[in-house]
Amino acid sequence: MNRKWIISFFVAVCLPFLSGCWSSIELKELAIVSAYALDKKEDGTYVGTFQLINPMNVPGALQGGASGQKPSIATYTATGGNPLEVADNASTKVSRDLYFAHTSLLVISEELAREEGLSSILDAMERGLEFRTTTNIVISRDIKAGDFVQVLTAIDQVPAEKAIKSLDFTEKLYGENIATNLQKFIKAAVSTGKEPLVSGFIVSGDIEKAKTMEQLQSSEGAATIEVNGIGVFKEGKLVNWIEGEKSEGTLWVLDQIQQAPVDIDWEGQKEAISYKVIRQKTNVEAKTKGGKPVISVKIRAEGDLRAIEVPVNVTDPHVLLRIEKVLQEKIKDEAEATIQEAQKTKTDIFGFGEKLHQSEPDNWKKLEQEWQDVYFPALDVDVTVEAFIRRTGMRNNPYLFDLNKKSD
Amino acid sequence: MSYRKFLKKMKPKEQRKDLEKVEQKSIGTSITENLNIIKQKTGNSPDIIIRMLTFSHDPEVSTAIVHVDGLVDNPTINEFLVQSMEDSVQEKLEEKDLFKVFSEKVVAVSSLETLKDWDSLFLALLSGDTVILADGKNEALIASTRGGERRLVEQSDSEITLRGSKEGFTESINTNTALVRRIIKNPNLWVESMNLGKQTNTDLSIMYINGIVDTDIVKEVRQRLARVNLDAILDSGYIEQVIEDESSGLFPTITHTERPDAVAGNLLEGRVAIFVSGTPHVLIVPAVMIQFFQTPEDYYVRFPISTLIRMLRVFMFLISLIGPAFYVAVTTFHQEMIPTDLLVIIASQTESVPFPAIVEALIMEVTFEILREAGLRMPNKISATISIVGALVIGQGVIQAGIVSPAMVIVVATTAIASLATPNYDIAISARLLRFAFMLSAAIAGFYGIILGLIMLIVHLASLRSFGIPYLTPLAPLEWKSLKDTIIRGPIWSFNERPESLHPQNPVRQGKNQKPLPPLKRRMVRADTKEGDKNES
Repeated sequence: MNRKWIISFFVAVCLPFLSGCWSSIELKELAIVSAYALDKKEDGTYVGTFQLINPMNVPGALQGGASGQKPSIATYTATGGNPLEVADNASTKVSRDLYFAHTSLLVISEELAREEGLSSILDAMERGLEFRTTTNIVISRDIKAGDFVQVLTAIDQVPAEKAIKSLDFTEKLYGENIATNLQKFIKAAVSTGKEPLVSGFIVSGDIEKAKTMEQLQSSEGAATIEVNGIGVFKEGKLVNWIEGEKSEGTLWVLDQIQQAPVDIDWEGQKEAISYKVIRQKTNVEAKTKGGKPVISVKIRAEGDLRAIEVPVNVTDPHVLLRIEKVLQEKIKDEAEATIQEAQKTKTDIFGFGEKLHQSEPDNWKKLEQEWQDVYFPALDVDVTVEAFIRRTGMRNNPYLFDLNKKSD
Repeated sequence: MSYRKFLKKMKPKEQRKDLEKVEQKSIGTSITENLNIIKQKTGNSPDIIIRMLTFSHDPEVSTAIVHVDGLVDNPTINEFLVQSMEDSVQEKLEEKDLFKVFSEKVVAVSSLETLKDWDSLFLALLSGDTVILADGKNEALIASTRGGERRLVEQSDSEITLRGSKEGFTESINTNTALVRRIIKNPNLWVESMNLGKQTNTDLSIMYINGIVDTDIVKEVRQRLARVNLDAILDSGYIEQVIEDESSGLFPTITHTERPDAVAGNLLEGRVAIFVSGTPHVLIVPAVMIQFFQTPEDYYVRFPISTLIRMLRVFMFLISLIGPAFYVAVTTFHQEMIPTDLLVIIASQTESVPFPAIVEALIMEVTFEILREAGLRMPNKISATISIVGALVIGQGVIQAGIVSPAMVIVVATTAIASLATPNYDIAISARLLRFAFMLSAAIAGFYGIILGLIMLIVHLASLRSFGIPYLTPLAPLEWKSLKDTIIRGPIWSFNERPESLHPQNPVRQGKNQKPLPPLKRRMVRADTKEGDKNES
């Protein structure tokens, strides 16, 4: 009994000293990387820019902190042969351990995405312990990715947060872009029946000024970060940009619309009636007819009228039916235009191939090899749209309609 | 005689020799000698009161009344003993057997008995009974006159409920057993008395319900009590420590309560209560872990509410066990688990703190333990000062000086509140000690260390027994039927069986179909009357 206690006592005492504090690291020793930008130099090496959060300068984090006087981020640049080597090289400049578990944004420059593709980069990211597969990927258009992560933002103290939030909100409220994370990208990239999409960002304004505190001292700011376009990838490389209405059409077909405005022309007047989608469902059916694949896309939209700029009697159900018809045409046009564009570039961004794989796996095996280059461009896609006006908003007839009646 | 007295005062050692000389087993016939023995044995203590009564018609026959001041009920002695004996002096005593006359005609107290040996005489005398000695009699009459100043039945300080009885046990064992008897009016409520403690001669009772309790448990309790040979028993805690199963473990295997309703409830489940004179804390055996998260009030409020509260208690216990450990692990090993915004806040707070998280946690925890201990032991008037100083030291000073981060203060404060909210102090204090072990294991190996500690803890708990009952019953071993009174508290109408693990002789608790059955039609009780049927709106 006594010996048992003595032994267990010694084990208990020795244990902490023998094991040490394995892999323990204090918060003070971490440099939290919020965004990681990758550019490419002419000599083929990568240039990585790290956006680090400087916790002491994040307003609200600490009472009486140096909020609003210093930037809440710090950036460091390093070069290397692959993305992780870049990170290793950066540690000579940063006094702390670069910590990637909270990296929410991976910015790739357009140049790099077009020339080299993302395949080799993403492997290192996914293989690494700290990187999350939920990290969002974006492409910086026309500017260096390194410059993009150096731009300060006013409302969101950490610029990476701002980029992700605007991505999420435009996807949700506007339906013109798409948030893609590592996982989604890789899944689509390895699938033969689908190609990945990545949102693009531009910075408009004076970039150099936007990197300094001047950016935050005026209400307008020297430059703004904007979501712009959806990048289409083929075999891991950026091949095309989808923009404007076409990008909305992409989201219609992809069943990704949550809320989106649709403006229609009415009696010759451009964009006279604005409609807002509140619920949407897209069903894609893939079949083969005589060895040829046939795709039918059924879009069902439901929404409210938002603004009416022409005198129209919306209390009349027949008028509403006519509006619905125009809406259907408009959505159909958008969707078909996008599909045609995709067929032109031979990229099945909608995952039609995947659908066919699911519905007819045997036939898919025959088509798989030449799907992107032969079958998809020649595809016969039948788009049917069913639009429904749930409410006319908080008013019945527009003021204009009532005014006209008075003058009659 | 005076020479002896002189010697006694001068040389205490001599006195012992004298005592040995007069050491006699049974009472002698001479009253003076008997009284001398009493005086000698009690060292002539002034609170031993001896009153001589002589009968005028027969001066040869003298009697003496002996009692201890303060332990007896004075009105009883005055009215029913002294007064009536003096009255009887006027009468002519024809009967030869004086004690028979006394017990049948003169002394009007509830209980009278005759004793012949000194040991029981002293025990009775010191318990508050009055001893009547008579010349020529080699026995003593013991009149039950126990009384004196005692604390009244008050509300228990340590176990407070909003609903339910406000009565709490007192220091008097008779009052305590009576409080339980008042709840369970059943002849099967059996009490066994014994006397333990070589010096203190403390009264001790075990109580159980015959016909419900497993006789093996009672036998086990008797056996364990029989081998108790302590010098003194000042509280039920002494008994607890010599009869419990695991004396060196951190977890209590015997529970105690100050509430008669809690004792009654446990007796009805088939447990045994041990009352100890001089303490309001009544021991209950066997005890299982889950009991420490239950209060009598759980059964008085409706079951969904008490279920939620019980879950909350287990949650609080977990917080008080691993709260700071969790924080230390998450900030030094698993930073990826903290949401980014929160991480930035915590990081900005720890930026200026010079210590690692574990040192911070230890500083705060030790400070808190010091404050708690100080607050507990200080007189009420000073404890207010302590709380002010504590609030300033913890709340303001430490943070402003940048020694501890505000997040750590929040964690420690939450842990402290959670620990104080655990209903049973015994289990809360176990968690309080184990918390430090968990903090260290978290600092060494993060969540891995915490999980390792929890596994070891559960293994230890599963190995414990309380009077033959596994400590984690009914969770391990699993008893489906008893599960409805664990972390969840099922409805009263579903408690048809007593807990299986206690092997009750009569396992059926109540009639079936106790669920209330309201009428199918939702109508008012007085629907027949004219006013009644308009009530439903």
